[in-house]
Amino acid sequence: MKSELLKWWQTIKISWSTHTAYRLNFFLQIIGPALVFFFVKYNLWSSIYAGDKLIQIEGYTFSTMINYHVWAFIVGLLGQGHNSMNLSEDIRLGRISTYLIYPFDFWEFHSSSFIAFQFLQIFVTLISIIILYSTGIIEFHGTFAFLHGYLYTLFVSVFWFCLQFFTGILAFWLEETWIIRVMFLISTSFFSGAIIPLEFFPKAMVSILNYTPFPYLTYYPIKIFLGELTNLWAPYGILFLWIGILIAINTFIWKRGIRLYSGAGM
Amino acid sequence: MIKCQNLTKNFQSYIKEPGITGSIKALFTRNYIEKSAVANFNLEIKSGEIIGLLGPNGAGKTTLMKMFTGIIVPTSGTLEVLGFKPHERDKEFRKKISLVMGQKSQLWWDIPAMDSFLLLQKYYEIPKKSFTQRVAYLSELLEVKKLLHIHVRKLSLGERMKLELMASLLHDPEIIFLDEPTIGLDLLAQENIRDFIKAYHQEHKVTLILTSHYMADVAALCKRLVLIFDGKKRFDDPIENFEKILGQEKIVSFTFSKTQEPLDPIWEGLDATWSAAKDYVELRIPEEDLRKVSKKILEEKEVSEFSTEKMPIERVMKTLLTNPELLRKGDEI
Repeated sequence: MKSELLKWWQTIKISWSTHTAYRLNFFLQIIGPALVFFFVKYNLWSSIYAGDKLIQIEGYTFSTMINYHVWAFIVGLLGQGHNSMNLSEDIRLGRISTYLIYPFDFWEFHSSSFIAFQFLQIFVTLISIIILYSTGIIEFHGTFAFLHGYLYTLFVSVFWFCLQFFTGILAFWLEETWIIRVMFLISTSFFSGAIIPLEFFPKAMVSILNYTPFPYLTYYPIKIFLGELTNLWAPYGILFLWIGILIAINTFIWKRGIRLYSGAGM
Repeated sequence: MIKCQNLTKNFQSYIKEPGITGSIKALFTRNYIEKSAVANFNLEIKSGEIIGLLGPNGAGKTTLMKMFTGIIVPTSGTLEVLGFKPHERDKEFRKKISLVMGQKSQLWWDIPAMDSFLLLQKYYEIPKKSFTQRVAYLSELLEVKKLLHIHVRKLSLGERMKLELMASLLHDPEIIFLDEPTIGLDLLAQENIRDFIKAYHQEHKVTLILTSHYMADVAALCKRLVLIFDGKKRFDDPIENFEKILGQEKIVSFTFSKTQEPLDPIWEGLDATWSAAKDYVELRIPEEDLRKVSKKILEEKEVSEFSTEKMPIERVMKTLLTNPELLRKGDEI
């Protein structure tokens, strides 16, 4: 057990070194997309509220809407910052061969790398929050709501990691998986409430969406940060169930896919 | 140690016509083909042997290596390495083997080699004391002490290869698979790597499976050669017998006091290789014709020197590569 933990710990340390080998690239890579996405949404909602910034649309004034999206930025950074963009390419170009030789399974290596990334992301997110708070851009809704929201978003990142792993290992069958990843990303952005809060969606649609993982990726974590959520069984229960389903699917796909692996380029 | 019977690996791919029309067509219909990379391969390797796997590009050498190491799963047949089925990728099995790929770095590019070694120490569960001793011993032998703390991306290919070798030996593996370990290296670096492998084998008696296109590697290291062609085994014998694959032929060299005419019918069918000045030739002569042909040349030409020698494996391989029909008509073994 101890030796297994040491393997994970050493891999995490190596991942830190590799993630931060190119510092500027690292910061741009993790903070850039979330920041651009935030400014696109800021402009969108500025135009919508342009006539009257005090008007309420579905219970949101302009400032509460922006506060919602600043928290969406934090959730995106911490919960969906990790991407396994290289996984499908690594499979297609045979770069995972090395990891199949080591007595440390590939999923363990990949997961350790994710944990290492999340440690760095916790640090980056905290700095972002401090900057946003000290400049008055973000509003706090109590220490408990903040800590709870933070922990829940880390839970969300586990789901996101499993989803990324799933789209990555489809490369055992598909030559290119980026379009699938883009489709997932667009669907997630829309149905998770990252662009439009779920209050704007038809009620029937929301009740269906509540059984999918989407709203638990952005909308519910924001609501936890805002201290507006009391019933927590669904955010935990349903996401937990989806994580379990994804782990089972990933295990199945990996076992089947590895039989097709050709170890190209060696 | 390694035993395979009727080992087969097929790969599926599809034929795509060139250009955008081909790409659109491929969206709707694909003409799949199945290619056999290794077919009904039988092999037995004993502990401590050094085997050279030879064959042209695409013959199936690397596919075999990948099956032996568990990277890919065989289509059919049986394979046992150290009592394990490699494709099941048991962790105990993985601890007992190592693979060095000349064309692929296994060290992490953006960190010094020593950091990678520390990671491998944890992966292979090497006790700290043994690890320290092993690093000291191998870095001394490979003369890389000064390179251990430099980022791998800053090293030359030769330096990196030495560290790759070092990484693969840290856990004291029982079998080492070397896939073109000297590819791209200059002559001196090739020799250094070869000398190290030879010295390491003499001391540790590990089993070594080597693929290389450099016959100097094979000649210096391997006692037994296995030739693969079109996924099938065509030769499996001690290196001394390799020339017999071409039949009973001898290499005879003649030096002449005058320039010769290479188109002279006397050289026909003898696979003549001329010097630039056309005053030296190497001929491949069937053993039964050796006397008759040599006598004729000595009588008709002004020969100043002549000698016969065993055919070097490089020459045998070259002959096989330029005349693949020699192998195709031969029996699969």
